[in-house]
Amino acid sequence: MMKHPIRLKVNGSFHDLSVEPRDTLLKALREGLGMIGTKKGCDVGDCGACTVLLDGKPVNACLVLAVEVEGKEITTIEGVAQDGRLHPLQEAFLEYGAVQCGFCTPGMILSAKALFDENPDPSKDEIKRSIAGNLCRCTGYVKIIEAIQAAAACIDSSRPHQKKTRGLR
Amino acid sequence: MRVKGNIVQRATRDRTAIKDPRVQIPNEFESPNNQIRNKPVGHGKLELVSPVIWRLEIGAFAAQYEAKEMSEKLILESLKEEPNFSKVGRSVQRIDGLGKVTGKAAYASDLQRPGMLHGKYLRSSHAHARVLRIDSSRALSLNGVRTVLTAKDVPGRNRYGLALLDQPVLAEDRVRYVGDPVALVAAEEEEIAEEALGLIDVEYEELPAVFSPADALGEGAPQVHEGGNLVLHFKIRKGDVEKGFEEADVVVENTYKTHRVYHAYLETEAGLGEFDREGNLSLWSGTQYPIRTRRQVAQALGISENRVRVVQAALGGAFGGKDDLTVEIGIALLALKTGNPVKMVWSRRESMEAHTKRVPMTIHYKSGAKKDGRLTAIEVVIHGDLGPYASIGHFVVKKAVTLCTGPYFVPHVKADGYAVYTNNPRSGAMRGFGAVQAAVAYESQIDILAEKLSISPLEIRKINALDVGSSTGTGQILQHSVGIKATLERLSEYVDERGMRV
Repeated sequence: MMKHPIRLKVNGSFHDLSVEPRDTLLKALREGLGMIGTKKGCDVGDCGACTVLLDGKPVNACLVLAVEVEGKEITTIEGVAQDGRLHPLQEAFLEYGAVQCGFCTPGMILSAKALFDENPDPSKDEIKRSIAGNLCRCTGYVKIIEAIQAAAACIDSSRPHQKKTRGLR
Repeated sequence: MRVKGNIVQRATRDRTAIKDPRVQIPNEFESPNNQIRNKPVGHGKLELVSPVIWRLEIGAFAAQYEAKEMSEKLILESLKEEPNFSKVGRSVQRIDGLGKVTGKAAYASDLQRPGMLHGKYLRSSHAHARVLRIDSSRALSLNGVRTVLTAKDVPGRNRYGLALLDQPVLAEDRVRYVGDPVALVAAEEEEIAEEALGLIDVEYEELPAVFSPADALGEGAPQVHEGGNLVLHFKIRKGDVEKGFEEADVVVENTYKTHRVYHAYLETEAGLGEFDREGNLSLWSGTQYPIRTRRQVAQALGISENRVRVVQAALGGAFGGKDDLTVEIGIALLALKTGNPVKMVWSRRESMEAHTKRVPMTIHYKSGAKKDGRLTAIEVVIHGDLGPYASIGHFVVKKAVTLCTGPYFVPHVKADGYAVYTNNPRSGAMRGFGAVQAAVAYESQIDILAEKLSISPLEIRKINALDVGSSTGTGQILQHSVGIKATLERLSEYVDERGMRV
C-alpha cells in the first residue's frame, strides 16, 4: 500500500513520518515513532490501554487514523512529566499503589489528566466516569481512584504541574 | 541491630537441641510424623544471614521447621524492641513503578531490534483432524515472507509441556483443537505475515472428536492421545463415608458446572528472540517462569540450556495464563531459521482462542449434616476438562479435590477427581488453580444445607469452621494460624453492628 508523508505534533514536538492510510495513530506512535508508552491491548477500542489526548480530549489511538490527526495536538504518557518532574498524577499512582502490572497505567493517567484539565475539582463519581473506558485487570480500580483523588487535591488549577501542598498525603 | 549472641553460640555448639528460654515451643506440637520431633538434627551449617533472620541449612525437616518457628518468634520479639526498619513494616514504592508511570517500561510487546521480523502461527480450524498435506509455496512467494516452518523443521524435540510432554511445537500428523499450531511464518511486517497465513494450503481429514470429559471417558470415545483420555485420577479418602451419611439427618446432592474463564490480561502474549553470532539465544518474553521457559525452548531447538537466556520483560498481567509457554518456542525457531530477531505478539482474538483458560469442571457433590448443622460426610466427584494438552491442568483438578471440603471440618470424606483430555480449547493455570471451582460447589452446598436446617448461612459456617487442631479433608492436622473462625466472628460483629440480616 502507498505510504503518505504526514507531520504529527506529539507532546509539543513535530515528527515527520510515512504512513499507510490504514495505519492507526497507535501504530504510528508505537512503530513509526518508537513511542511505546501508549499500549496496544485489544486494537478495537474496548480496553483503553491506547488512550492518548487529542487536543486535550481522550481518544483510543487504535480507533484514530494517523492521516486524520495532522495539525492536532497529541499528548501521550511520555509528555505528561514536564521538565523532568513527575505530574502529581504520576506521583500519586506510585504512592497509592495504583500501579501493578502497569499496562493500563498510561491510559488511566491520560484519562484522569484530561478530566483535571477540564474539571480541577472532580467528585468521585466524575473520576469514575472519566476512567470508565480504561480497563484494569490487576488492581480492582480502588487504588487508582484513590490516587486520582489524591492528585486532584494537590493540583492548583492555575499551575497544573505545581502541587498545591508539599506532600501528597 | 544487635546480634542475638546467646542464641547463635548455643546453636553452633549444640545442634541437637535448639532451645531458647525466651521462646516457648508448645509441647503438644503435633507433627505429621511424630518421630520428627526427636530426630537428631544431622549435618548442616548455620549461616548468620542477618542479625535478625538466620537460617539453618540442614537435611532434616524438623530442625528447619523449628528454626523457622524460632526465627519468627525472634523477629517478633525484636520488632517489639527496635521497630526502626527502613523497609520492613513500611509502605514502599514499586521498584519498577517509575518506568510504568512514565511510559518507559519495556514490555515484551514493546521491544524492537534492528532487522526484526514478525512471527505468526497458522492455526487449525478443526477440533480434531489428520493433517494430510501442508503446501507453503504460495506463502513463500509473497514478497516480504522470509520463512514458513512446519513440524519437520523442528530441530530438537517436537514435544513440550510443563508436566507432560504431550504437546507438539507444530502439528505432525494431527491437530487436536481449534487453534492448534500447524505452521510458523516470519515476515518483514506483521501485515505481510498475516496475509501469508491465508496463503498456506493445508489439507485436513476431519476426525470424530470429544467435547466433554464424560464423553471422553466413555466406551469407544475418540482418543485424543494414544495413551487414552484420562490424564489423572486423584482421590482422597478419610474415615468412612457410608457411616457418615448414615449419621446424617439431611443429605444434599447436586451437580455444579464451572466454565472456562479467560484471564484477559491487558497485554497479550508477546516475546522477542534473537541469536547472537556465537549461536546463543536471547529471549525476551512475557513469561511467568523464565527458568522453565529456558529448559523447554532449549529442548525444542536441540541446543544446550546454557546457550539460552530468557529475560522476563515487564509483564502486562498474567494470572496463570503465561505460566505455560506461549510465543517462546515459535520465536526461537523462527530466529534460528532466519538468523534475524523475531517478534511475536498475539492478537486479542488469538489470545482468547488459542491459549489456556481456567479448567472447566463438573462437580458432583453430596453432603450430609446433622440437625445441628455439623457436617458428617461428603462425597465428591470432579471431572476437569483439560482440552487436548495437559499443561498443568491435572494439578488444578488435584487441587480442587484436595480443597473440596473448603474451610470446614468434615470427618468422613470420599473425593475423586478426573482430569480428562478433550478436543475443546485448552485449559490450564488460572489464579485460584482449582480452589475457586471447588468453592463454587462447597459454598453452595453449605448454603443449601443451612436453608434445609433453618440455620443462618453465617451460623452454619461458624459451626463447621476449621480451627487449630482440626484435621482437613486430607487428614492433615492444622497447627497454627487458622483464621476462618476469627473471620466469621468479625463478620458476625459487622453484620450485627449494621443490623443486617444474614
